[in-house]
Amino acid sequence: MNGTPRGANRFILGVLGLVLMIIGAGIVAIATIPAAAQWWQGWSGAWVVELSDLMSRTHLGTNGGSWIWLLVSAFLLILVIAMVSWIANQGKGRTGTLLNRPGNEDDDGAAGDIQLSCAVAEQALKTALLERSELLGVSVTSYNFRGETSLRVRVLPRQGVAPHHVATEIGALVEAMDELLGVQVPVLLSIGSGARSRFTKAERVR
Amino acid sequence: MTGHQERIIKRESYSSRAVISTFAAIVVALLALYALLESMLRVLGQTAWLIDPPTAAKRLSELPAGISPALLAVIGVLVFLLGLMFFLNAVVPGRRARHVIPDRRIAVVVDNEVIASALARRARIAAGVMREQIMVVVSARTVQVNIRPTSGIALDEAQIQAAVEAELDAMALEPALTVTVHLAATGVVGV
Repeated sequence: MNGTPRGANRFILGVLGLVLMIIGAGIVAIATIPAAAQWWQGWSGAWVVELSDLMSRTHLGTNGGSWIWLLVSAFLLILVIAMVSWIANQGKGRTGTLLNRPGNEDDDGAAGDIQLSCAVAEQALKTALLERSELLGVSVTSYNFRGETSLRVRVLPRQGVAPHHVATEIGALVEAMDELLGVQVPVLLSIGSGARSRFTKAERVR
Repeated sequence: MTGHQERIIKRESYSSRAVISTFAAIVVALLALYALLESMLRVLGQTAWLIDPPTAAKRLSELPAGISPALLAVIGVLVFLLGLMFFLNAVVPGRRARHVIPDRRIAVVVDNEVIASALARRARIAAGVMREQIMVVVSARTVQVNIRPTSGIALDEAQIQAAVEAELDAMALEPALTVTVHLAATGVVGV
């Protein structure tokens, strides 16, 4: 439920995959089929001639550099920036404000804002959950999912713990938190298993 | 359950492709950085680090000359496979191994591994065997319980199946799972 651009991820991966597949198939064809190799040498040889011609016409100053390479560098720089921003967009969408309610004068006579930080809900849930011995790991994070602040609770129960019991217990806990805060925040509970729950003892006296 | 929560659950049930995207972005960025270095060296009139861009273009256009055909073919196959990996990651739905537990207040998703270990515990109690004798595999629509009985002690397959199904009914998972219990023909001694 984070803001990872899933559509963009798939689109860019798809385009990149297609391009690499075409290049790979081309290399194999050049390596194995003599006719393809001949065609490649003829076609790209013409381009190389064109390129060196262009280079000799686009001298930059007296040191012999060509501004063609400046253009190439600018393009590559843009490509690098695009890739870095693509990486930076993964997993974004964390938020810090749970609730922002502007007060008005006919509400209770005072103008002003009420802001609840996400840390309120996160820490309340986390401390309540860490007391439970059937849960080995708890993490609570808040995301802005489609304009609405939502909490994501990830718990790693001990081996053999029934997930529906965990779900109903945490559901009751969240309902108690609703009453405490006075707002209903969308909550996602994700029950998983990590390395710690896999390797610690399953049996436990209840 | 609200539409917002349904959207959250749908999103949680599919892979975001974040890891492979980051990998692809790093690969492309490193290649671009190297090419940037060489072309900037060319602009500044310095000597190339590994290969001059015009020389590289000339060498590329002269392929397959200058390299053994077998090596070139292997490189081509590797590039093709890398592309295929990216392409399949883009096209395949990528469902995560998870199920949904309906709840009136919160959205709940459970990893199949957690379901399997809970069912294994239930089946183990029903069968009266040790942990090592049970293996439970949970997939999208089926649960397979494999039990190796203790030598000399007969197990009641129907009873184990009923116990596991009762536990599954209590979980009320979406999509629903069907159980098959498989008792091994050979028993184990001294577990």
